[in-house]
Amino acid sequence: MPLERITLFCFEASYLLALVLEIIQMFQPRPILRLMGTACGSAGLVAHTLFLLNQPLSLSSQYGSLLFLAWILAVFYLYGSIHHRNRAWAVFVLPVVVGLILLADVNPKPSDGPGILDLESLRGERFWRMIHGGLLLLAGVGVCVGFLASVMYLIQAQRLKAKAIPGEGIRLLSLERLEAMNRRAINLAFPLLTGGVIVGVALFAQQSEISLANWHDRRIWGGGILWFVYAILLLLRYGIHLRGRHVAWLTILAFGLLVFTLASQHTTVGGLR
Amino acid sequence: MRLLAIGCNYRNSPLELRERLAFDETKLALALEELNSRYDCETVIIATCNRIELYLARPSAINPPDPELVTEFLAECHHLDRSILAGHFYQFHDAEAVRHLFRVVAGLDSMIIGEAQITGQVKRAYELAKARATVGPLFNALFQRAARVAGRVRSETGLSQGHVSVSSAAVEYVRQVFDHFGDKTVLVIGAGKIGELTLRHLRELQPRRILLTNRNLKKAVELAGGCGGTAVPWEELDHVLATADIVLSTTGSQEPIVSRERYDKIQARRSGGSVVIFDMAVPRDFDPQIHDGDRTFVFNIDDLQRFRERKLQERLKHAAGAEAIVEQEQQRFITDWNRRRHGPVIARLTEEFEAKRKAIVSRLMDRLDGRLGAADRAYIEGAFRLYQNQVLHGPISALTEESHESGGHTLLEALAKLFRLHD
Repeated sequence: MPLERITLFCFEASYLLALVLEIIQMFQPRPILRLMGTACGSAGLVAHTLFLLNQPLSLSSQYGSLLFLAWILAVFYLYGSIHHRNRAWAVFVLPVVVGLILLADVNPKPSDGPGILDLESLRGERFWRMIHGGLLLLAGVGVCVGFLASVMYLIQAQRLKAKAIPGEGIRLLSLERLEAMNRRAINLAFPLLTGGVIVGVALFAQQSEISLANWHDRRIWGGGILWFVYAILLLLRYGIHLRGRHVAWLTILAFGLLVFTLASQHTTVGGLR
Repeated sequence: MRLLAIGCNYRNSPLELRERLAFDETKLALALEELNSRYDCETVIIATCNRIELYLARPSAINPPDPELVTEFLAECHHLDRSILAGHFYQFHDAEAVRHLFRVVAGLDSMIIGEAQITGQVKRAYELAKARATVGPLFNALFQRAARVAGRVRSETGLSQGHVSVSSAAVEYVRQVFDHFGDKTVLVIGAGKIGELTLRHLRELQPRRILLTNRNLKKAVELAGGCGGTAVPWEELDHVLATADIVLSTTGSQEPIVSRERYDKIQARRSGGSVVIFDMAVPRDFDPQIHDGDRTFVFNIDDLQRFRERKLQERLKHAAGAEAIVEQEQQRFITDWNRRRHGPVIARLTEEFEAKRKAIVSRLMDRLDGRLGAADRAYIEGAFRLYQNQVLHGPISALTEESHESGGHTLLEALAKLFRLHD
């Protein structure tokens, strides 16, 4: 099949089918359903990879960053599905992957330009834009992983609060594991986010046509608040040793801000593209 | 088959009686040898806290071991009045005895259905009998098949899936909170029996340290010595509660020992993560309001029992499948055993007929020598062979058919007598 014929719909549908199979499997556990789910998810990941390789997408574009973020999370999904076979994993990760692809789909596709693999064109300002996009993308991965760990943590804590029978209903990782996953995600996201924001601010300040009014850009505000929330998260965790539900809820709030930021178009300079 | 299974279990005999019938290793070995020599039978004794069962077989004898004599022997062996045993013993013969053993080994007859411990206990009973040379061809085949039945039930049904003891329920809960245990501290408060059992399960998780505290420090020191833990004075309870990750409480206190107010102060001193408290005492040792489902998780004995009952219900769903396997294996075993036992008789019968046929045909050929062509000779030999096969077909088929149904003992003896195979 020619690579040009792989569309966004191909892998989106594969991920959706994998999600449906995983949901059925959760209520009627059968190894064949899990196997089929993983096969569909893997097929989606292959199509997704080929699509990204074939498209000249830039990390600094909204469309490109959403699809790259979704791809990294799809890899995370597949790793978790294999590594934590008996746990509900896909039902949490796949909705985020599908949601990010949908978000990319509703955004305008950027006109053809140099892609991530086009190293020739990565010079000067374009290079820094790529660094800015790349850092924010990796920080986005941390925010998403933190969000997923927090949602699972809250559900597991609720199950334990209600004294649900272990092994019945949804099967999740231990609270300790989920908390550690969240902690690592925050620790990873914050420095990357800080670096991305600094590079972004520097690039933004260089634009000659920018006036003070442009600082009202929703994406800039979203990114700034996201950084601020993460700074608070770090302070709460390491300063006053806050743990558990409070940290989980703050991480979910941070994810909401990330989605808001990603959904918002740069109103200035063509989205720093 | 001449097989007898006789015994008592938790269903039809009180614990006091089972205690009086208990065998220690020396007594067991002596009983095996005595039964074997006194009644000339293959012998295996399964002695656990829930059952005392004797399996006796005399595969080549006419009469099976007498249950009355075996009961008498048991009473004599334990210095009991025989009348005490009356009404507490069940007995199974031949095919039913095989079925009973298969049900026992598969955990279908256990107090906790599907428990795997009994498989090991039956295996050990057989090995001990083997070491004492009280097993023969029948029990070698029977107990090896029993181990296979247990394996099939375990792998093909969900009868033994999951853990169903209260102490294993505690481990399941703790695994939902913690991921690794090498850095965890287990604190045991009190010295209840159930706490000891749970601690045994938790020790398998290899926690970093085990602390034990009791109002009576001497008792705590004794317990600590038995589990590789450290005894802590009762006065330091608050301090150790602030450092513990898993707490097992089984005191006999009539009042809660840790109130909400007291725990709030302890919680404020805690620098670690979550704490899981198993309050197994009745009345409870910890105020249930401490359970917040975030940093502190309190599970009482009812929570653990609920887990156990749910798991038992799940296991019961698989009982029918396990019974079907037992039924199938019982029939297979009896067929195989009878075939194995009839094999030599059938071979001998065939050999005798073969020899007689050859002698008659040879004499006939000598008398007709010179008057027959090669084709005529072959025809006559074929006719005699056909006649022999048709004569033998009836008895051999009858033996094979009977081996599917029951022991086939009478028929085997009749055949041996009719055709003088004993000679």
